[in-house]
Amino acid sequence: MAIETQWHDYDVVVIGSGGAGSAAAHAAAESGARVLVVSKDPIGCSDTKISEGIITLRGSAEDADTRQVLSDNLRVAGADLPDPEITDAFAADSRDAYDWIRRQGLRPDIDEERGGPQTVPVAFGGHTHRRSVVHRNSGVAFSHAHWNAVVQGAGIDYLEDTWVLDLVTVDDGDPCVAGAVIYDAGHGELLAIRAPSVVIASGGLGTMYFPKTDTMRGNTGDSYALALRAGADLVDMEQVQFLPFCITYPPSYEGLIASEPGVAGYLGVLRDAEGKLLLDGLMLRTRAECAAAMVRAVNEGRGTERGGCYLDLTANVAAPRSGPYFEVFLNTTLSKVMGTVRQAMGRKATKCQEWWEVRPSAHYCMGGVRVGPDAAAKTDEDRAAVRGLFSAGQAMGGVFGANRLGSTALSENAVFGIRAGHGAAAVAKASKPADDAVFTPLLDGYRGLFGQGSADAPACLVRELQEACWEHIGPARTRSGLETMLTKIAELRRRCSEATVSCEGVWNQSFIDRVELASMLDTAEAVARAALTREDSLGAHVRLDGGQTSLLWSRPWSAVVRRDAADGWGVVKAPRKGTPFLQLLAYLYRDRKRKVALRLLRSLPLRWRDAVIEGRYRATMGPLKSGDEKVAEAQVAEA
Amino acid sequence: MKVEIVLHRDGEDRPVTYEYQPREEGERPMVLDLLLQAQTSEILDLSYRYGCRNRACGLCTVDVNGRPRLSCRARVKEGDSISAQGTLPVLRDMIGRRDGIARQLRGHLPNAILANDLNVAAGDDFHALTACIDCYACLHDCPMHARNFRDGEEQRDDGNAYRWGNPFSLLKLQRLRLDPLASESDRVGALETARELGLDACVDCPGCKCGIGIDLKGKVIAPLLEQL
Repeated sequence: MAIETQWHDYDVVVIGSGGAGSAAAHAAAESGARVLVVSKDPIGCSDTKISEGIITLRGSAEDADTRQVLSDNLRVAGADLPDPEITDAFAADSRDAYDWIRRQGLRPDIDEERGGPQTVPVAFGGHTHRRSVVHRNSGVAFSHAHWNAVVQGAGIDYLEDTWVLDLVTVDDGDPCVAGAVIYDAGHGELLAIRAPSVVIASGGLGTMYFPKTDTMRGNTGDSYALALRAGADLVDMEQVQFLPFCITYPPSYEGLIASEPGVAGYLGVLRDAEGKLLLDGLMLRTRAECAAAMVRAVNEGRGTERGGCYLDLTANVAAPRSGPYFEVFLNTTLSKVMGTVRQAMGRKATKCQEWWEVRPSAHYCMGGVRVGPDAAAKTDEDRAAVRGLFSAGQAMGGVFGANRLGSTALSENAVFGIRAGHGAAAVAKASKPADDAVFTPLLDGYRGLFGQGSADAPACLVRELQEACWEHIGPARTRSGLETMLTKIAELRRRCSEATVSCEGVWNQSFIDRVELASMLDTAEAVARAALTREDSLGAHVRLDGGQTSLLWSRPWSAVVRRDAADGWGVVKAPRKGTPFLQLLAYLYRDRKRKVALRLLRSLPLRWRDAVIEGRYRATMGPLKSGDEKVAEAQVAEA
Repeated sequence: MKVEIVLHRDGEDRPVTYEYQPREEGERPMVLDLLLQAQTSEILDLSYRYGCRNRACGLCTVDVNGRPRLSCRARVKEGDSISAQGTLPVLRDMIGRRDGIARQLRGHLPNAILANDLNVAAGDDFHALTACIDCYACLHDCPMHARNFRDGEEQRDDGNAYRWGNPFSLLKLQRLRLDPLASESDRVGALETARELGLDACVDCPGCKCGIGIDLKGKVIAPLLEQL
């Protein structure tokens, strides 16, 4: 059966319907554009929906939390790889962006005294201020809002069960977007969409590491692969965030999140397989610091059989006065996660009466499409960027650099989704439609895949790639491993091109697996090539065969990956502006001071320690009422 | 462990037997574990939806022995039969066409809440409804949704939306009614939409069941019926 092609016209195509895509679509439609949202999964079924639902809201708890403070915090925590113009934009818009989500129906609990959303009682690991707002029902509460923005959006059309196969571009010296080619699985058709602007907001790459990931299945690196193939630059692709504390067992729960450094309490520590202290002061540490310590220990043979370590939270609950505060704090901040922990590890673990075996899992890609603060594609000064190409959310790079602080991704979605939507609508107004002939090669190529090949099943090749990704471009890397990865990718590319694709029109699973495999291969190669360029460890990128990049004594640079016209790969180092030496020194001094203070606190006799910690919890949480622990526990049971 | 997987190809159900290979002694796998294994061992082009493996995304609903379950959190037993949700048209294998459900609400909820002061807390009942993950398990045995398939012909409008409602749509409408920032006309409109979608079907219905445990009858249907 021949696959039919339907043609449509839009001003803006938005790929993805999660936190970023919904914001982009809503903003573009608000600017008068005719918008098409294209989503593989049902509207709103994204990483945002399954997240912890904790968002960064500048100034929510402390007036000293100015724009400059937040921007600097993001940049320094990201080892100066973030683009300062982008972190400034994040800091400038975070409050308005949050209000936009609220106008779509998100309802936080309100701190009556401050007259605003209630803030988590501690500063999350790496944050210099308390500014994370927790929501009942976690990310699901956000997904209702993002669903509303798309489904109720005036001027927005949307399609579910649809895969964007490639962007169509025209290049007469000034490359620009002409549209997109799409597979509509629900109807068994190809769609050719003429559109002068596209917003890539289709999330990350966690599925490359399955099952060692806690993200949605749909994260097959589509965002990065589509951008690369359209001629855009990717930045910081070696910086894949591995969440340190994830479940190792039983297999059905493998990879899911168990906890966060920021909620490890004043006394949470990491231990190796023999119980020796591996890392203390967890609550002040970033995800990257914890994950790096764990993979290094495992590499030295100090890990558990399943390649993990132990998260020991027992001291937090053993203290008679502060223990109940910790329980309430843990169960209310991570209610959904604690529900999962209870199912996977049992009640004793949930009560923190025993150590948890944990291992890092792929969670988020800090790298992504190289854009400016307007979320429009950007490249080197002597090159022309693809006009009409925008990106937001996890798909974009430049916001977080070498480490993303907890709770910042949900703000990133709305901040840059809105900017991308407005920008895309403006470009569309000033563009003329391209000739339909530019669609032909892509349409013919994809149509030709149906009924082709008679070798491997794409689903099996995907599994082979996933195993290789974990081993070679996972949380621990070496030059020889990265080179092995490139060889494996070349082999899988060859087998992918001969893989079996049936000729079914409606929901052709082998076709879907085939195109997702191709995306994962492109994205895996971008990660491997960027990782080869960075020979020392920095942030989330851990090189077992290299040294550690010093923040104070090195000049920051970002790895930029692109594909050249001749189908070659290019990797260049783009210099970044470093934080002034004294400012950096002050930041590091403050960080060190807090960690030393925490260590001192841990070494105090139990009675004193308990009293100090109780006082700190009380100052932010208020006095505990009898029964609060039961209420918090019930919330977990409900989750 | 042998299990029946009901494939759906070329418009027909094709049951096949699949033998699960346990990954360790005494493993009690979930339905999703079985589907994942089947896809890379014997049924290489098996189609099924899943997302988070963690009971949060609402994508992986299938029928186990004729009843809707989230495959990521449903233990599978010897002799179980796994098929697509029986309440939606099947595209292929476990994949149902979901799109017509949400689409029926298009234009019936506000495009944005325009209240001046956003710092108003919502009540427990509002948050109880926000727990909904759109798994569509509630379509099972729903007499209102069944009206869409009366007389063998699917009842959809031009935009592919189902004519008649379901507990999910009613939940969205009741949630709006409980939103402290919704306007009076939003609330009145939500009730009107519930009526148009066929709320009368709920009058004699023993009640719907939520896939993740929301009290649909008490918190959604009863308060709407009170206004009927």
